Amino acid sequence: NSPAPLPERAIYGFALFLGSWFGFMLYLIWAYVPETWLFSLGLTYWPQKYWAVALPVYLLVAIGIGYILLFGLNMMSTAPLNSTHTITDNYAKKQQRKKFQEEAIPALRDIPISEVNRMFFLSEK
Amino acid sequence: EERRYRSASGGPIALRARQHSASCRELAVRCPRLQLRSLSAVTSAVWLAAYGLFVLSQNSMVLSAAIFITLIGLIIYLHFVKIDQESLLVIGSLGIQVTSSYASGKESTTFIEMGRVKDVVINEAIHMQKVIYYLCILLQDPGDPQGVSEVVPLFQSSKPRLDCLIEVYKSCQEILEQRKTAPPSN
Repeated sequence: NSPAPLPERAIYGFALFLGSWFGFMLYLIWAYVPETWLFSLGLTYWPQKYWAVALPVYLLVAIGIGYILLFGLNMMSTAPLNSTHTITDNYAKKQQRKKFQEEAIPALRDIPISEVNRMFFLSEK
Repeated sequence: EERRYRSASGGPIALRARQHSASCRELAVRCPRLQLRSLSAVTSAVWLAAYGLFVLSQNSMVLSAAIFITLIGLIIYLHFVKIDQESLLVIGSLGIQVTSSYASGKESTTFIEMGRVKDVVINEAIHMQKVIYYLCILLQDPGDPQGVSEVVPLFQSSKPRLDCLIEVYKSCQEILEQRKTAPPSN
């Protein structure tokens, strides 16, 4: 699963490149060429040209709203000050305490907030 | 004995600590009073906007509505929003009482009995694009002394900074430590 270049990936990339160029040219033709010329060629089943302007505008407004929406979602999912999620979580509640061994590095654990507070604020010498 | 500190937003607050007995302490934080210049700024902004609306619409009800809204808004603000003083009364072996007094004189009190109090700690959390320190009481379930069932944040309106919080924390811990040395009577 490495990101190295492979022949298949080169073919996918080129197909995507051609496809996107074709799509862009088709969009420009649909937006700019007058309807009568297209009808004379026999191509009559196009969407209304209104959408050639409306869809980009919708997209840009959606991107702008997305910035504000993401900001609001972040603020909404921040834990309020009175929730226990600021203190602990499911993994910390279920952790097992390993036995203390002499001259060994203590096991990694979630230290309770009372102990942390005592160490920070009470033991000033 | 009042000591001056700063709140999280920079305003001046004052902490007053009183010791009533060996196991009873009261800590009160006084918030800054309502400033005359901010009150007049808000009132003139609202009245100027109302006058602009009156000039546009030529309806004199807009002016009387603006006066009415300003008065009612000021009364609601003083009675429900503007907190004058928040105090914490710790009585070892009995409980902790939290009182908020509003600018209109209203006082709202909460009492937590000592059996439910696990600890009083300084916690840090994200609040409105800032990380603030705040003092909180950790409550425990009587059936589960190891877990924290609820967190009660204190001094929510005055939001003192860490130096003031450390003073209050040390005071509370001196009383809470007496719980461990003295055996519970119930």
